[in-house]
Amino acid sequence: MNIVVAMKQVPDLQQVRIRNREPVFTDVPLVLGNIDKNALEAAVAIKESGDANVIALSAGNEDVEDTIKEALAAGADEAFLVLDDKLNGAESGVVAQVLAAAVKKIDDVGLILFGEGSGDNYSGQVGSRVAELLGLPQVAYASALELKGDKALVTRSLEDCTEIVEVTLPAVVTVLSDINEARIPSVTQILKAGKKPKEVLELDEVGVKIPPAASVVTVSNLAPETERKRIVVKSVAELIQSLTTEGVIGR
Amino acid sequence: MEKFDVIIVGGGLAGLAAAYTLAQQELEVLVLEKGDYPGAKNVTGGRIYVSPVRDLFPDLWAKAPLERFIAHEGVTMMAKERSVSIAYHGQELLEEPYQSYSILRAKFDRWFAKQAERKGAMLVTKSRVDEVIIEDGKVCGVWAGGDELRADVVIACDGVLSLTAEKAGLRKPGNPHDFAVGFKEVIELPAETIENRFNLTDNEGAAHMFMGEVTRGKFGGGFLYTNKESLSLGIVVGIKDLMEDQPAIEAPVLLDEFKQRPEIAALIRGGETVEYSAHVIPEGGLNALTKLTGNGIVVAGDAAGFSMNIGVTVRGMEYALASGYYAAQAVLKAREAEDYSAGSLAVYEQLLKDSFVMKDFNSFRNAPEALENPRLFTHYPELLGNVMRDMYHMPAGPKDRLYPTVMKYMKFNDLLKMFGDFRKVKKI
Amino acid sequence: MATFMIYSSKEKQALELITAAKSVGAAAVKAVCINDEAQANALAAAGAEVLLINNDAISLADVAAVASALGQVAAQLGADTILLSSDRRGKEAAGRLAAILDAGCLTDISAIKANGDKIECQRNALGGATVATQYIASDKKIIAIRPKTFDAPGAGSGSVNAMTVDVKASAVKLIETKTRGGDSVDIEAAEALVVVGQGLNSKDDLPAVEALAKKLGGEVACSKPVATDKKWLSEERIVGLSGKKCKPELAIILGISGQVQFTVGIRDAKVIVAVNSDENATINGMADYILTADMHDVIKEMNSSL
Ligand SMILES: Cc1cc2nc3c(=O)[nH]c(=O)nc-3n(C[C@H](O)[C@H](O)[C@H](O)COP(=O)(O)OP(=O)(O)OC[C@H]3O[C@@H](n4cnc5c(N)ncnc54)[C@H](O)[C@@H]3O)c2cc1C
Ligand SMILES: Cc1cc2nc3c(=O)[nH]c(=O)nc-3n(C[C@H](O)[C@H](O)[C@H](O)COP(=O)(O)OP(=O)(O)OC[C@H]3O[C@@H](n4cnc5c(N)ncnc54)[C@H](O)[C@@H]3O)c2cc1C
Ligand SMILES: Nc1ncnc2c1ncn2[C@@H]1O[C@H](COP(=O)(O)O)[C@@H](O)[C@H]1O
Repeated sequence: MNIVVAMKQVPDLQQVRIRNREPVFTDVPLVLGNIDKNALEAAVAIKESGDANVIALSAGNEDVEDTIKEALAAGADEAFLVLDDKLNGAESGVVAQVLAAAVKKIDDVGLILFGEGSGDNYSGQVGSRVAELLGLPQVAYASALELKGDKALVTRSLEDCTEIVEVTLPAVVTVLSDINEARIPSVTQILKAGKKPKEVLELDEVGVKIPPAASVVTVSNLAPETERKRIVVKSVAELIQSLTTEGVIGR
Repeated sequence: MEKFDVIIVGGGLAGLAAAYTLAQQELEVLVLEKGDYPGAKNVTGGRIYVSPVRDLFPDLWAKAPLERFIAHEGVTMMAKERSVSIAYHGQELLEEPYQSYSILRAKFDRWFAKQAERKGAMLVTKSRVDEVIIEDGKVCGVWAGGDELRADVVIACDGVLSLTAEKAGLRKPGNPHDFAVGFKEVIELPAETIENRFNLTDNEGAAHMFMGEVTRGKFGGGFLYTNKESLSLGIVVGIKDLMEDQPAIEAPVLLDEFKQRPEIAALIRGGETVEYSAHVIPEGGLNALTKLTGNGIVVAGDAAGFSMNIGVTVRGMEYALASGYYAAQAVLKAREAEDYSAGSLAVYEQLLKDSFVMKDFNSFRNAPEALENPRLFTHYPELLGNVMRDMYHMPAGPKDRLYPTVMKYMKFNDLLKMFGDFRKVKKI
Repeated sequence: MATFMIYSSKEKQALELITAAKSVGAAAVKAVCINDEAQANALAAAGAEVLLINNDAISLADVAAVASALGQVAAQLGADTILLSSDRRGKEAAGRLAAILDAGCLTDISAIKANGDKIECQRNALGGATVATQYIASDKKIIAIRPKTFDAPGAGSGSVNAMTVDVKASAVKLIETKTRGGDSVDIEAAEALVVVGQGLNSKDDLPAVEALAKKLGGEVACSKPVATDKKWLSEERIVGLSGKKCKPELAIILGISGQVQFTVGIRDAKVIVAVNSDENATINGMADYILTADMHDVIKEMNSSL
């Protein structure tokens, strides 16, 4: 059985700086989304306890060929990539079509794993959209995942409760970061990653066209203005004094 | 277990220079870097002298992401409430190929690493070397995060306080007192603002040194370099000097005070600090070098002590590049002879001796000593400041004649000492 | 004129969506309820034209069925602007419904505003470092709005009508539901918050933290790892992108590094105090008062002097 893990290349948010309230992306390195790494880890855990082949699936620009090495080092057996500059910042609807088309080209897919949200956009749509496009059942917000024959037992963690559900495979599951701790690959694994098989397709080859008009338009994307005093106090006494003056304690 | 031709510990300038050179000759090279990215944590003041190393990497410079070429030099003597600056402009600074550039390591190192990888070097980041494998007195590889990695030869390029050189028995663990520390901020400003404030046209840049009150008269100084869209501002000061004062001076406080000086505040006004870093600097000088070769190991860059702290500034980048390059050359020679013993690798030392690296270190031999003279960092800045104050001060009554004004501060004895001090400095 | 349709599995949030729809000019609000007559009545009492689906084949645990039902209703009503609640169930349904309707979709919306015929939405982007203002340009629009962004509407007179839909046999079977154990704290409502992070040494230090919160008349909150990795506090108390967005008068933040995914949840506090042993901690950049110290000492000292 193949387990497909959808992983998105995103700018390393720790390295994104804000200048005049605008985010600056120049020279920001590209990485795989954090939660996507948890999704991969969940797949690799299943592989290690049973029998499965893990395929990291990503849609993006050509840099993904490099970025995806991290997934191959962390336990993916193969990479399946759809690469095109037009996929830079493509919207959820388009990405979902591309990923769904790619999954159709892979045989014997039992599970398709997603992160609960991508590192940069964090909108939690792509997994659900792909499930619908493929007509598959889905369980989102998984904090535990276990395979049982042709079914998966998933713990779905909601705000006020957790549900344990059984879903028939093939299915889509999106995971929370709490599901596991993603492993950090060793040097040897990183070195071997370069030699693992990679299938690279272009946008035409999966038959998806980018629509001329975007369905979501961004008017602005600015850091909120925060004016903080940033007063350094030397002691608790001084702090209490200041807070009393502010009127926030001792009311 | 994996086996390589060469393992390089540390992906800074020395390590990348060695990797680039070796990969070009199609050796299997593995670079292990503990940082998230090459250059991510590497602290440097920010000026690289390209001239001495240009020919070692002929293909490199055309596209290298350097910031601005240094066209204007300045030195400021800072007294408590006043300062005197000297600006230097020289035609040679404006002529191509330019001598020196400001540089941001985060950008440069990452780019340089890409070039080395293009040549075939393997770079693994987030990977820290914790042990050196030594068998029968020969270094055979390293342990990194539970992985045993072997190679014919290891090049230690892991910077100041090199663990690799220490584990291989080439470096004695250091005494913190023998080191200086540097603190630096990168302050962002629009290119246009920088060009206006520093009188720069196009890609010209300025380098400015500060001595005196910056370090409260201790050995060290401040520096300021203009990058394309930011300034690198920092100070360097000896750890020993900091600890001697009672209560001990906190170096970050010095940097804050430095930033608040009106001379500096005007230059950085409106800028945003986007990076703050601190780093240890080897005290430098010939006497502080480690053993450069052992069986199966070569040491390059700061790891070997190839960085020179001349008080107000530190020079190390071009030595790192050059020593990395020569270490690679030595490895290539040893490979031809199929002999990686210390004796065979010793050709490294010869290559360095014939290069600007050892020539510089020999001629700067006395630098640390001459520069430790406290008069240089307290007395003269105050003196100059006072002379200038009296010169420019316009009293209500008649102004004194100039000569006696100067002489008021310089007794004969002073002149004699000054002569002595500068003679020592001249040797540098 | 847009035709609005709203849906949430939760009554409170569905009510908020009625207000949301009205705030951007909805004259009439159609609301869908699935197997929940009580909610249907409540929404009708708030003025919505409710379409109640009673169908045992639809389980909330099977979002494919829920989305399919919503899609069918939307088609019948000619609804083009669908508001959902951006809780986990709502978000899960949003993407699926967007694919069914070929709609543009925005989730995690924290503010909406009509601007001509556009509905401008605000959401956190880049882990919370920025706030993006976006609108949906496609004909069909799905907007998932964060709970508590709007108040409940006043009384109105709506209606409840039955609606039938067909859903496929479900491939998802609910085995068990466990309600979260007891912590019903509402940190978003607290006037003061004492927020602790991974700088906290151990679970045993919590009583002192609680004592301090009590003295300040507030609640204890935490960074995500304290709840999800260490499990010292309940997930109800997480501040940040995947936790709560709080606007207390006073937030005392102890032992937290200050990554954006955290700070986005507290940046609207009136007064922020940062206590961290690292004088260069990122959190200090967004604080009004900065105290570089061991948080345990600070807690102890505050407890004894307040
Ligand atoms: C404040 C300051 C100002 C300076 N100003 C200047 C200047 O203006 N001009 C100039 O020429 N020089 C200057 N220098 C000196 C210059 O920065 C250094 O000499 C130069 O960076 C040395 O390069 P390197 O490659 O030897 O070491 P580094 O750049 O320090 O690289 C060492 C690398 O090894 C990695 N590493 C360390 N240990 C391990 C391990 N165990 N496993 C794996 N990786 C490891 C580190 O992460 C690092 O990337 C300055 C230095 C300082 C601190
Ligand atoms: C998609 C996504 C969503 C996320 N959502 C959230 C979210 O909603 N909320 C959230 O909090 N995080 C969230 N995170 C995680 C977030 O990125 C950080 O990892 C997390 O906030 C770090 O928690 P921390 O500051 O407690 O721990 P750390 O980063 O480990 O920081 C601990 C701090 O404590 C200080 N310290 C240590 N000892 C002491 C002491 N004795 N006294 C004083 N200070 C001390 C240290 O200097 C350090 O600054 C999310 C991440 C992702 C990728
Ligand atoms: N371009 C992409 N390539 C591969 N997977 C993606 C891509 N974009 C999103 N995903 C997956 O979809 C999940 C949710 O993304 P989002 O809807 O953007 O929050 C991510 O965690 C990934 O698993």
